Amino acid sequence: MNDLIPYIPSSIRDSLASLSFFSAEISLILGFLLVILADLFFSKRYPQLSFILALLTLLLVAYQSSGFLKIDSTPMFGGMIIMDHLSILFKLLFCLASILFVLFIRFNRAFQNHDKGFGDMYAILLAVHLGLNLMAMSANLLMVYLSLEMVSLGSYLMVGYLSTGQRQTEAAMKYALFGAVCSAIMLYGMSLLYGFTGTLYLNDPAFLSGLNSVPVMASGLALIMVFIGIAFKLSLVPLHFWSPDVYEGAPTPVTAFLSTAPKIAGFAVLVKFLEIFYDPGSKTLSSSMLDLNYILAFLAILSMLLGNFVAIWQNNVKRMLAYSSIGHTGFMLMALFIFSTSGFKAIIFYMAIYVIMNMAAFMIVDEIEEKTGKQNIDEYKGLGKQNSLLMISLLIILISLTGLPPTVGFTAKFLVFSSALEAYNLSGSAILLIMIMIASLSTVVSLFYYFKVPLNAFLRESPDPVKLSIRSAKVYMGIFLAFLLLLLIVFPSMLEQLI
Amino acid sequence: MIPISHFMLISAGLFCIGLYAVLTRRNAIQVLIGIEFMINAAVLNFVAFGRYDKISGGGQMFALFAIVLAAAGVAVALAIILNVYKYFKSINPTKTDTLRD
Repeated sequence: MNDLIPYIPSSIRDSLASLSFFSAEISLILGFLLVILADLFFSKRYPQLSFILALLTLLLVAYQSSGFLKIDSTPMFGGMIIMDHLSILFKLLFCLASILFVLFIRFNRAFQNHDKGFGDMYAILLAVHLGLNLMAMSANLLMVYLSLEMVSLGSYLMVGYLSTGQRQTEAAMKYALFGAVCSAIMLYGMSLLYGFTGTLYLNDPAFLSGLNSVPVMASGLALIMVFIGIAFKLSLVPLHFWSPDVYEGAPTPVTAFLSTAPKIAGFAVLVKFLEIFYDPGSKTLSSSMLDLNYILAFLAILSMLLGNFVAIWQNNVKRMLAYSSIGHTGFMLMALFIFSTSGFKAIIFYMAIYVIMNMAAFMIVDEIEEKTGKQNIDEYKGLGKQNSLLMISLLIILISLTGLPPTVGFTAKFLVFSSALEAYNLSGSAILLIMIMIASLSTVVSLFYYFKVPLNAFLRESPDPVKLSIRSAKVYMGIFLAFLLLLLIVFPSMLEQLI
Repeated sequence: MIPISHFMLISAGLFCIGLYAVLTRRNAIQVLIGIEFMINAAVLNFVAFGRYDKISGGGQMFALFAIVLAAAGVAVALAIILNVYKYFKSINPTKTDTLRD
């Protein structure tokens, strides 16, 4: 024990020096405490105080994070977390998703009328947001596990928060049990990785050399176990079973959040893991032990195919969007496959657009569900005639999700495809070509299910047409986001200069 | 001194028992017990490997965090299962299937 004493002053100095880079997370922690206290003591007199505090905290966090945008790779807290440009971009994406989510809850009737109050939801959100930020920065297996669990526990609570009926509790139970199993498998994989390498730091050279010195079967098993935990968060195909059920059963704002922020954080962790195996010389993932390239490509192809084809048969809108988000995950995994600067630019741009599109789609779907109780696509008949502005915004969002002009979804898809083609021209790997072909095929397939909604809304007649009032904050937000999707194709530089 | 392979065998056994329980049990609480087995297998591994990592003590540290997080996870899961029982009068995961394709 005594031989550790000389290290104490230096590690304390390091931790104190790290605190100045940790300001965004400190604000989150303070905001979390403030929201809890505000909800405890002032929820009777000022019911919206927790909402305002959460929103202000998130805006502050976005501002503080953007201050570090031009940062070089900075290890903090003894290398437990590493802050670099990419992690700041991820953090800004989380802020975008969380801010939209906070506004979404504010104007969701089920949450506002919940008899236990909605203040705790904001507190859970801020805790989850802290976990997301740490996920994007983690550089240590302990940090990866800790932050992933923070996000998972918060998400289970979010799904089960309202618990107003059978479906919501069932979704929460499925999510919690499946998630706990996946994280236990990941923990076991991490313990094996620790045993093989003797270190928990991902960027430690001993980590890769330790992995290379054990038989492929052993290191491959441990890595696959860790990837199971990450793939659960991403809802990649062999581990996607939970996502349609949970997305359908959960309250719609929570579905919108789950389909964006934790998924993006999963990608951030995946990048951290893949960076270990990235070989700058050959610009590919080094495949000396286990061919990660093929496994990832296989998962991406499966996700794209299954997500998009199964979505065709769905009648529930939320379920359809769940399957489509599995397809989008596969597509993003393809973008991740291109391990280069342009590949990262493309994927961040795609993710930002994906957050806007998904949030907007769920907002309008939620508005329709709230006012009319319609959840199925075939019930949307005739909605377009009566509520043209609302349904035209939904149409724009769906066009953007498909990836067609004149929306920015096209730009995002185009950037991914062009950087994939560029990578193919450089490497000439057949597997990349297959992925590009599958991706373009699944884009065509996605037309069929996305356009079922406007087909029903505009071209089919309904015996009893419903007129929705447009005067609702959620509709305004949905229309604004749809307009943003149109605007950004003219000015993509507004987003690009950030990246 | 007990060789490291003994620890690894026991933890692999625990993990497999846990996984078997998760896959076969028809009661959400028993599934949780299975998950607990799997987490404890990993914790055992961490502590055993931690012997060889005295300076940073990462294994011991990780074991502590894993135990705390497992407890937190069980608390959340039990609260959710209680809610399920309220609506379904059953905590059999195979019987609660109103959501499906």
